[in-house]
Amino acid sequence: MSHVSDVNPLLDVRDLVVRHGTRTVVDHVSFDISPGETLGLIGPSGCGKSSTAMAVLQLRRPDSGEVWFDGQELTAMDERRLRPLRQTMQPVFQDPYGSLSPRHRIRDAIAEPLHVQGSWDRTTGPARVAELLERVGLDPTHGDRRPHELSGGQCQRAGIARALACEPKLLILDEPVSALDPSLRAGILNLLAELQERLGLGYLFICHDRALVRHFCDRVAEMRDGRLSSS
Amino acid sequence: MSTPSTPSTEVLLSVRDLRISFGAVEAVRGLSFDVHEGEVLAVVGESGAGKSLTARALLGMPPRGATVTGSVRLGADELVDAPRSVRSALWGRRVALVPQDALSALSPVHQVADQLAAAVRSVDRVSRKEARARAVAALEEVGIAADKARAYPHEFSGGMRQRAVIAMAMLHQPDLVIADEPTTAQDPETQKQVLDLLATRTGAAGASLVLVTHDLATVREHADRMVVMYAGRLVEAGPVGEVFARPRAPYTAGLLASVPEAHPVRSTGLRRLPAIAGAPPVPTDLPPGCAFAPRCPLTDATRCRTEQPEPETHDGRTVACHRWRELPDNPAELFLETV
Amino acid sequence: MTLVARLLKAARTPGSRAGLTRLGCLAAVLATVGLLPWLSGRDPALTVLRARSAEQEATEEALDAIREDLGLGAGPLSLLGNWASGLLRGDFGTSWVSGTDVLPSVVAGLQVSLSLMGAALGVALLVACALVAPVLVRARGSAGSLAAMLVALPEFLLATLALLVGGVWLGWLPTSGWVGPQYMVLPALALGIPAGGLLGRLVADALPAVLEERWVELWRGAGVSQARISAAALRRVLPPLVPQFGMVAVGLTGGAVAVEVVFAVPGIGRTALGAAKSQDLPLLQGSVLALLTLGLVAGALAALVRRRLLGPALRDAGLTLPAARPVRAHPAVPVALGAVLLTCIGWGLLRDPYAVDTTARLQAPSWAYPLGTDGLGRDVLARLGHGAASTVGTAAAVCLVSLLLALALGFLPSVAAGSSDIANALPPVIVGILVAAAAGPGTGGAALAVALISWPPLAAHAAALVQEVRASTFLHAQRAIGATPFWILTRHVLPSVTAPVARHAILRLPGIALALASLGFLGLGAQPPAPEWGLLLDESRAYVERAPWAALAPAVALAVMAGLAVSLAAYAERDAGGAGGTARTGSASGRGRFAVAFASFRSPKESAQGSVKESLKEPVR
Repeated sequence: MSHVSDVNPLLDVRDLVVRHGTRTVVDHVSFDISPGETLGLIGPSGCGKSSTAMAVLQLRRPDSGEVWFDGQELTAMDERRLRPLRQTMQPVFQDPYGSLSPRHRIRDAIAEPLHVQGSWDRTTGPARVAELLERVGLDPTHGDRRPHELSGGQCQRAGIARALACEPKLLILDEPVSALDPSLRAGILNLLAELQERLGLGYLFICHDRALVRHFCDRVAEMRDGRLSSS
Repeated sequence: MSTPSTPSTEVLLSVRDLRISFGAVEAVRGLSFDVHEGEVLAVVGESGAGKSLTARALLGMPPRGATVTGSVRLGADELVDAPRSVRSALWGRRVALVPQDALSALSPVHQVADQLAAAVRSVDRVSRKEARARAVAALEEVGIAADKARAYPHEFSGGMRQRAVIAMAMLHQPDLVIADEPTTAQDPETQKQVLDLLATRTGAAGASLVLVTHDLATVREHADRMVVMYAGRLVEAGPVGEVFARPRAPYTAGLLASVPEAHPVRSTGLRRLPAIAGAPPVPTDLPPGCAFAPRCPLTDATRCRTEQPEPETHDGRTVACHRWRELPDNPAELFLETV
Repeated sequence: MTLVARLLKAARTPGSRAGLTRLGCLAAVLATVGLLPWLSGRDPALTVLRARSAEQEATEEALDAIREDLGLGAGPLSLLGNWASGLLRGDFGTSWVSGTDVLPSVVAGLQVSLSLMGAALGVALLVACALVAPVLVRARGSAGSLAAMLVALPEFLLATLALLVGGVWLGWLPTSGWVGPQYMVLPALALGIPAGGLLGRLVADALPAVLEERWVELWRGAGVSQARISAAALRRVLPPLVPQFGMVAVGLTGGAVAVEVVFAVPGIGRTALGAAKSQDLPLLQGSVLALLTLGLVAGALAALVRRRLLGPALRDAGLTLPAARPVRAHPAVPVALGAVLLTCIGWGLLRDPYAVDTTARLQAPSWAYPLGTDGLGRDVLARLGHGAASTVGTAAAVCLVSLLLALALGFLPSVAAGSSDIANALPPVIVGILVAAAAGPGTGGAALAVALISWPPLAAHAAALVQEVRASTFLHAQRAIGATPFWILTRHVLPSVTAPVARHAILRLPGIALALASLGFLGLGAQPPAPEWGLLLDESRAYVERAPWAALAPAVALAVMAGLAVSLAAYAERDAGGAGGTARTGSASGRGRFAVAFASFRSPKESAQGSVKESLKEPVR
């Protein structure tokens, strides 16, 4: 919270519009997130929360509007120019198993961003992976397993470790604990809180649980039928 | 072993030493509790706790391949080991099921009203027209207009489907309704509507409701008593108000403490939530003593790790824990340590 | 024609592009038929001349006169144009051999074939009911391996067995010709039993999974009687299966060729085969067109029935069935069958299949000739062994080609869907006839014919997997870390698709070998004296009364092959996750199938754990 300040926002979304066919699922949505700040996005299912996340990540290009991230406008960039920037903004999805390839070991999944970046180093790489595993509270032995050999909570931690391997500035957390058993949720939330304090990450936290959002977020925006009613 | 009845009401359903296994894997491991007439009993647990299996056993509908032992007694009828004809005579008339909402909860190729009519005609010998009329009336009672009766399930919203399912389960005024995660995957507003409907419909019919859920907010809002399950066993049972106010089992305490509602205001500076370490065990690989011991802050090295705690009952509350008396007044702090 | 095409298109609407591909494929097939005289490459004038006046000298002038007469000189396009415009006027051309109009022969053959297929359909329905009834009564289990075995028996084998048993040894029924109703019995049985096995199996295998759907629990819990639940489950099963029933009808048209040949039934299939062998291309064009139309009409009817069953409200609902749990034969079964086959083949390979010994003709099995000798005194075991090598070897090559094609085209889902629909409407025998007419009969032609129709199911499987991988969350995660499309393709998509599709292809090998054998049996594949299983069976039919073992050996070998195909198919079905049946209707639970596709990557221990988790039925949120 100490990071919240009047410096330039990390993410600045202006008049974002996403259409599915003729239906407007995200309707002129604007918000911003500063480094170290958590913005909660809350609303009933189908209100456009996840579409907003995908549009901010440029995984689904918005139909109009601007997404300024770290001083650069993303919507105008072509895929080639965007690719090197992608790692600085990482998603964590609801389904802990869905975001990791079922065929790859956890260790390889965490190392993949380094390979993609071209920054994999045979001598320091394994140590970096081990450090990431430890940072998210996983055992080194977990690295040798595949996603289905882990519990949902462990898998979600692995997904977070993979996101951290990218050295991001912003995490888009799309219902990161909704698919987990109640006894595992608090652990993941505590991990996210700790990482934020240590690394000064900005969070967009999407959730439908009002109490949880109120507990976890600095600011809360409410979404309904694709529109934002700020609070 | 036995759970004492609340003095005011009679026991409707009594479960004794219920065990359900698949081959060598035991998923429900000796469960005993009672359901009283007219009460709402919540069965709480995480995935793998065996609560959905228990729900099926209460209906006398164990899944294929399951071996059920112990006793499930509904009034004078024993459901475990009873021939199918005995059990099926109870279905719809004395016990009914409200399954988890999904498109698959209703047949996708039949009109909604026809599905209710099939249930009417199976029990009462009435004409096709009469059955249909009663089906439409039952749908209207749960707030589904008569002109929607011709619709197919996929044309309904999730909330409407679940209301239709409730109407179908309540057609023959059963004494006991078992609702298995009735609101999973719905947004909070729909959840509330469906649960309110379920409570009013069973209340009006004087039926008991067993609410299987993992959602503590639902339990607090709608249940009279609760049974908490962990890894196929009962860890705590008692009146909802008392359990929430002063949990006795460490697992229940951790579960309650880790929900943000307990700490609604962030300004207290408490951003970390109390959390239970580790993950629930898989039924194929259970620890030898108390199943919760590896995650429990109260665990001692001897009894908890070697000996399964048996449920003991004091002042109307049941708990299965060797060290429940040592749980501090503010158990949340125990779980803050373990972060 | 356009009506049929429209119906076909309306029947399955996963996208108009697939519909266009379908029309394109159909046009290509029609053009192939129309261009047969040009494609065949041989001078048809020679055929015509021989047929018209055998003694006339084949002088250039005489041939030119005939070419002029037939309009062959004008090139392929005008040939196609002439043929098409003739069709529109109801003129199917004139037979080159008999010089008579084609249309009456086609109509006559069609009448016979239609009544045969009608009878066969009756048999099929009876068989299917017999298979489904016990499953409905018990509300669990499935049709079991008997049904699976029935499905795998190729019609030509069953027809030969029926001929042997019912006609020759027992002498109860006439075995050849088409004079009275009693002539219909054996052909209808041979044609109807595999079809009925397939129908029954489709329904019976789908039922247990449907009976475990959540709504059955709700209905049961609300007091609905078991009889009503059974009826509702049947009603639930039918709509997604009806298109496959259409394919069964299509299969009948292919099977009819073999059955009509064995029992000398003057139907359209036998007409087509005869025309192909005698190079009478106009007659062949007419009869193949009739067979194709039969198949398309059957498919369109199935689509109409499905629409009716689904009702107006459900047309877009994308209904799928829960993945059926295939009946698994004990792993020892395929292993034992494979061992028997391999022993025979290995032993036979050590012997000489061509050595003719006229002093040892039609001998019973002995130590010198373990499986006896054939009509020329050749060693049956040796011919069986060498036949297997060529049949299975060709089948393996076909498999590989199909796999490569499937992987390449799997990335074009609409092409895969459209072509697989057309391939489903074409029985291998008809393609074999077309190829043989164009390229002449031979192993290469038969392989080409089987390859043409064996890649589309694999491509459909690959396309389904590609779509599922592309739609999965982890690909989003890939793009989010800045991975290039090439990286994603080579590291994630291809590995996810290749392994299951390759397994699927390998498991289809016995089926492909059977298709090759059936072409050999009809004289469309390998030519004498080459040892080929289908050909062996065909040759031995001539002296089956005197030397039954000569026929029995290839028949049993083929049956063992069929058994192998069945016991392996159960494993293939698990991998495909019902992709063949459900991919077309659109998957409501893509993630589930994705999981199925990946299940094979888990170690046995985890799979066991997973299945326990599943059986515990805790809702996974």
